[in-house]
Amino acid sequence: MKKTIQIPLGSQHISLLEPIRFKFECENEKIIGVDADVGFVHRGVELACTRSFEFKQVGYVVARVCGLCAITHSLSYTLAVEKLLGYEANDRIKYLRMLMVELDRIHSHMLCLAHTAENAGFEALFMQIMADRELVMDLQEAISGNRVQFDFIAIGGVNRDLTPELTSLIHKNLTLLSEKIDTLIGLFDNNWSLSLKYKGVGVLSLEDAYTYNALGPLARATGLATDVRVETSDFPYEAIGYKMVLESTGDIYARNFVRLREIVNSIAMCKNIADNLPSGEILEKTKGKPKGEAVVRVEAPRGELFYLVRGNGGNMLERVRIKTPTFSGIPAMMEVFKGSEYADAPAILASFDPCMSCTAK
Amino acid sequence: MKFFTAFRKKSPWILHYNAGSCNGCDIEILAALGPKFDLERFGVINTGNPKQSDIFLVTGPVTYRSRERLVELYSQIPEPKVVIAVGSCTATGGVFRGMYNVEDGIDQYIPVDVYVPGCASTPQLIIDAIVKALEILETKSKEIEKPFKLFGAIAMVGNKLSRLNMATRVKHDEI
Ligand code: SF4
Repeated sequence: MKKTIQIPLGSQHISLLEPIRFKFECENEKIIGVDADVGFVHRGVELACTRSFEFKQVGYVVARVCGLCAITHSLSYTLAVEKLLGYEANDRIKYLRMLMVELDRIHSHMLCLAHTAENAGFEALFMQIMADRELVMDLQEAISGNRVQFDFIAIGGVNRDLTPELTSLIHKNLTLLSEKIDTLIGLFDNNWSLSLKYKGVGVLSLEDAYTYNALGPLARATGLATDVRVETSDFPYEAIGYKMVLESTGDIYARNFVRLREIVNSIAMCKNIADNLPSGEILEKTKGKPKGEAVVRVEAPRGELFYLVRGNGGNMLERVRIKTPTFSGIPAMMEVFKGSEYADAPAILASFDPCMSCTAK
Repeated sequence: MKFFTAFRKKSPWILHYNAGSCNGCDIEILAALGPKFDLERFGVINTGNPKQSDIFLVTGPVTYRSRERLVELYSQIPEPKVVIAVGSCTATGGVFRGMYNVEDGIDQYIPVDVYVPGCASTPQLIIDAIVKALEILETKSKEIEKPFKLFGAIAMVGNKLSRLNMATRVKHDEI
């Protein structure tokens, strides 16, 4: 009979920002079974959205579901409510919203890259990426007034406008950033010791990605072409130069590379938006109360974010349902762990970029 | 003892625990540890081990399931220790106040020394809080070094033996 040992990881763990607990079943160094426990940060946001907050406030509450993709949460909610109110935003609002979402994607991806590096043992690389990330954080602070949790999106528009100084700041910082990203791409591609930790580790195959419903960068790293930005028509993504990024190997290296190349794409899109901003109002009055049911899908940094909002014509909503990317990604995540070395577990985990705050709400 | 106090003052190690936050304040703590704000210049290291830590950084309004771990971690940190509540939801519950699964702030469970405001609180504020915590840590270690006199005068409070007075701080001129 083979002997297995069980090793726990989390919920409070140095290499994990997230309170999640894993129970790995190991045979020698190989992981043969995983058990995940995600409910440590459940707060009850969904119920509070229907009981204690009015529909105008809920946008700012759901942003607190997650600090990394806060803007995507408030955007999805706002889009859903605007559908119910029968309001369609003008082009300027759409462009400003896209700008912030893409900036948010850049900073989230960079944090994930930094984390993957740290968890694989590359502390200096972690510091380097965190330093580069400050360029985006400064931009976000200048545009919206806060570094994270900027309450930028309101029902009927956005709360702040883009001034000419900000446009030049966007160009300056993003140009600097794209140089740094180029060095990072070279580093991740050619560095030998990075390749030992990343190449061929934690592989998810294309069939498994289909079977287990992988989303976002996790799916695109296996070659599965799925991205909500092109699947829905809420935003004119093609007009500002969106390109789908696909890799085929499905290992940590591929996931890192999808993220790096998406950052490059997002930088180009942000510059495009800053140059070609249409004119118009930034905050328009909306009339009425939400009545009926609306479903919205938006691409968060980690994959598809799904919102269902139902109202009955009153100030309070009837139901707010949030399905987050990590929740759908967990089965694929568990599949990847099986068969890999225990020592690789932190790096594999970080490369999925799981967001437990989102999942447990 | 002097030997250790010097180190404690010069390089306080921190333990960071997420008790149900939205990750906003956690990434700000990471940013504060990063190169731009560089908290490590104070000798601060983010340890994962409560037994080696002096400063306890907590984020999030304690959720039902994390309260047990919060208290456990707190009690594992050796004295003297300082608790910093990062973010407005740690102080009062913030937006999460009154939701069914949260406990409205960590001071319901453990004593807090420094509160950091903001949602999310910025790295600058976190650095300020840690500098403040260093002061508190110093007074606390001074306080701890004062000797105790066990079994002091026996006092009765309401017909019951009061244990409060049985261990009293000795004034320095008494010894
Ligand atoms: S204070 Fe705000 S940003 Fe910080 S953890 Fe709480 S909700 Fe998130």
